Amino acid sequence: MASVVVAESLTKRFGGVLAVDDLSFALEAGTITGFLGPNGAGKTTTLRMLVGLASPTSGRALVFERPYAELEQPALRIGAVLEATDFHPGRSGRDHLRMLATAVGVPDSRVTEVLTLVELQDAARRRVKGYSLGMRQRLGLAAALLGEPELLVLDEPANGLDPEGVRWLRDFLRSFASEGHTVLISSHVLAEVAQTVERVLIISRGRLVIESSLSDLTARVGGAIRVRSADPAKLQTALAAANLKTTASGDQVLFVHGATSERVGDVAFAAGVAVHELIAEGSSLEEIFLELTAHTEAES
Amino acid sequence: MIRQIKAELLKIRSTRTTVGLLLGMIALILLFTLLTGLLSSVLSLSTTENQRQFLSLADLAGVFSALAGVMLIASEYRYGTMRPTILFTPHRSRVLAAKVVAGVLAGIAFSVVGEVIGWGLGYAIISGRGIPFALSGGDSVQLLLGGVGSVALWGAIGVGLGAVLRNQVSAVITLLAWAFVVSPLLFGLVPSVGRFMPTYAGDGLIGLTTRHLLPAVAGGFVLVGWTALLAAAGIALTARRDVT
Repeated sequence: MASVVVAESLTKRFGGVLAVDDLSFALEAGTITGFLGPNGAGKTTTLRMLVGLASPTSGRALVFERPYAELEQPALRIGAVLEATDFHPGRSGRDHLRMLATAVGVPDSRVTEVLTLVELQDAARRRVKGYSLGMRQRLGLAAALLGEPELLVLDEPANGLDPEGVRWLRDFLRSFASEGHTVLISSHVLAEVAQTVERVLIISRGRLVIESSLSDLTARVGGAIRVRSADPAKLQTALAAANLKTTASGDQVLFVHGATSERVGDVAFAAGVAVHELIAEGSSLEEIFLELTAHTEAES
Repeated sequence: MIRQIKAELLKIRSTRTTVGLLLGMIALILLFTLLTGLLSSVLSLSTTENQRQFLSLADLAGVFSALAGVMLIASEYRYGTMRPTILFTPHRSRVLAAKVVAGVLAGIAFSVVGEVIGWGLGYAIISGRGIPFALSGGDSVQLLLGGVGSVALWGAIGVGLGAVLRNQVSAVITLLAWAFVVSPLLFGLVPSVGRFMPTYAGDGLIGLTTRHLLPAVAGGFVLVGWTALLAAAGIALTARRDVT
């Protein structure tokens, strides 16, 4: 099956600055990918080229095998949020959605639907200037969902969200992806998306540093999941059967290598072992991230 | 394209900007018509040309129509809604063309309100002061239709200017300086050039007979030319530039 999103030697130069440098990657359907890198790494520029807001200096970006701007009615297949604040403050949330829906022939009933989906139905007729940042984030997401897309492209969607909002977003994206849909979300904080994404693309200074699954990344640097359970022996057997390496550490604690906490939790559940503690050890993921991005900065 | 035009009209209706501009326009036309009508002598308000000038105060609507046109695009850049707009309609020339059409439609609405108020009050003052109405039927039709046409085109000129400059403040200042400073200066100093400015082309179109003005048909063509030029520049630049 063809990739949903393809970047081919994507390059963008602003004057003398190379914002995106020969970036190539591909996203498969049904995956959630985190697009990570420090601020100024070129994430937003890349996303803008993906959805046709900016044109590449060289290379190309394809969605569903064609440049975004060449798709007929792309908003019916791709939902994108590039800024959390793209609203006229004097316009109601509902009218914001209606003006976009009108342009693609989506009926008002769908506007009501997405407003309910993002839990904004009560605020829909109020002017956006009275909305909190979290509400604006959700309104932006509602706009992206108007056309019932198969692909969501979100730039820093967790920015400014409170923990409850982050959890809501995570649950939403997981259920969206579980229907076979594809998600690309950017963030400058790996920890923010580590519980949501399956794959990561890390860029620094406009270049791809690593493309990998999150668990491979975790395994690669030896990050471990610490799990305390009622029956460590039984859990260890179950984890071994799931091809996961473990080290016992007494006091009913196991360290699991090369896995995400989700994976370990799932295995424990399937094995019927009660888990008392499940922790991704230290800030290992964040350390990897810093290490990887710092490394290329030193290189260039 | 119909969808995009509908969307643009919804944008115009869903903020208070348009209502504000409309109220400002009504106040200004009322004020100027009232002052001119009451402060002019009976003798001066009796000539055909002066009555024409007096009733053409309704065309002050053109400024507001142009401002509405500027807002139609500059506010999208200001508040970032240009991003979702283009995501939903990546054919940017389609977006811009829809805005030009919406600008013209808004301009027609502005001009109808302006003409009703300007003519209503103006005619009441003329007849109230016992002055005979001096315009022929043909003159009146030209004044009215020319007014509606030029105010409508100003809406599109505003869209074009807004699309070229993008920044709301720059576009508004440029528009006002062009209409109220540069054009009058040019017309005063070099009338053979100044008469090609859109404001003076419009004056020719509605039948004013001030010396040096273009004849009506030529004035109309020049005004349409300005509109086409700015709209085309706006469309071409928007298609090329990144939306950041």
